[in-house]
Amino acid sequence: MAGGGARVALVRLSGVSKVFRSLQGKEYVALRDLDLEIEAGEFFCLLGTSGCGKTTVLNLVAGFERPSTGRIEIGGRAIEGPGADRGVVFQGDDSLYSWLSALANIEFGMRMRGVERGERRARARHYLELVGLDGQDSKHPPELSGGMKQRIQIARVLANEPEILLMDEPFGALDAQTRSVMQQELLKIWRATRKTVLFITHDIDEAIVLATRIGVMQAGPGSRLKGVVPVELEVAERDRTADRFIAVYRRVHAMIREELAVAMRRSA
Amino acid sequence: MMGERVRKLTGYAIGFASMFVLWHLAAVYVVDSVLFPPPGRVLVKAWELARDGVLGRQIAISMQRILIGFAGGSAIGIPVGLAIGSFGSVRRVLEPYTEFFRFIPATAMITVAVIWFGIGEGSKIFLIIYTTVFVVIVNTAAGVGAVAPNKIRAAQSLGASRGQIFLYVALPATVPYILTGMRAAMGNSFITIIAAELIAANAGLGKMIWDARLFMLVDQIFVALVMLGLLGFLTDRLFRWAIYAFAGRYSPVT
Repeated sequence: MAGGGARVALVRLSGVSKVFRSLQGKEYVALRDLDLEIEAGEFFCLLGTSGCGKTTVLNLVAGFERPSTGRIEIGGRAIEGPGADRGVVFQGDDSLYSWLSALANIEFGMRMRGVERGERRARARHYLELVGLDGQDSKHPPELSGGMKQRIQIARVLANEPEILLMDEPFGALDAQTRSVMQQELLKIWRATRKTVLFITHDIDEAIVLATRIGVMQAGPGSRLKGVVPVELEVAERDRTADRFIAVYRRVHAMIREELAVAMRRSA
Repeated sequence: MMGERVRKLTGYAIGFASMFVLWHLAAVYVVDSVLFPPPGRVLVKAWELARDGVLGRQIAISMQRILIGFAGGSAIGIPVGLAIGSFGSVRRVLEPYTEFFRFIPATAMITVAVIWFGIGEGSKIFLIIYTTVFVVIVNTAAGVGAVAPNKIRAAQSLGASRGQIFLYVALPATVPYILTGMRAAMGNSFITIIAAELIAANAGLGKMIWDARLFMLVDQIFVALVMLGLLGFLTDRLFRWAIYAFAGRYSPVT
């Protein structure tokens, strides 16, 4: 799926550690010496058990957190803070602006960056339709369902045309049916736009349905990447019942099970 | 929608009507004293006072004091609250003020206010500003603190500057809190203005009560009391309506 030619790392984390300090002054090492490369145009799923630090990785790339040690780059430039080159889709709906209409939410980034009104309207409408929300443009987020709100978040980020989409368990709060529909929609959007995606999840199925590569995290604390599994499945094989899907599942599941065992031993 | 509205209004009508019926029964059959006039007599008195223009003038004077002081207090309180909520350094410097003064009630300041600003408008407006400003500050600052961090983070990742985040994210997200603070402040203003006018004033509903007391005009006292209840109720409705109108869109958490 990740076409031929030289592979270029769009985002590179090298030797990244992140230490959190509690109010009592206790230190917690979330990540230790993590190396990770995300290639331009790929759909990279970062998979791990809870508490493995996968959201920390996303927050570091987004620039919401600074690494304790190590270096994080996008397109060769060091990441100093949040920026419009990295669009973030959050798990909950509390990042949406409830006082703005769906369309105005999607326009928000362009408005902040001074895109002229007519152009930003047109572009916002385009992305509203792309995520399947035509006709909902004047609704406000509180009037929309959970799935629709996540669609607005995705459109809002796409309309801002970032270099990479950072998605932090964006479907984690949705019911199983909506979740499955959203996965297919996201896949369709990704195929149409070929945006680079870093997608955080703890759901093996979801990772295999979506990813071109899956990075499996070690159990925390002090975790790094356990291994990377390429997912070379055709569109038709991105189905939980396909033989090759199951083969990938077994492989990833074995890795996750090992890490779960480690986590259990540590907490025992 | 419509049925809901009718039910609500019917409920209010019954509630108010029963209040007057109970009052009438209590005044005529239970207390039976000139010191507790029935609603009919109060209504007649109110009509007389309104016809002479006395009632309208006293209401206008009290309401004007409330509105000027309330507007002034809000105009000071909102920006200060926003600054306290936005900047830790400002909070640390100003919090002692808010934490100190909000425990000194405006009624305790009446004598000082009259000594400083005289018996006229100055002292009344000062007292209403005083009673408004701290409630608005505390609520506004709390509102800024309650803005979901993901709203800010999303804006940062969409390319908004710090100034834009304040103007287009923190401020609108805080609106329901500001309105709630103003609503509480309006309640305080009613208490404060009457207390101030009772103690030292040349006009206003409180002064009207005080004067009536001197001549044992109980009917007139009751007119003022009913008016206070009515005015307070109406202004509070106005605020509730404003909060609901905004809350659909401005609610910080939905």
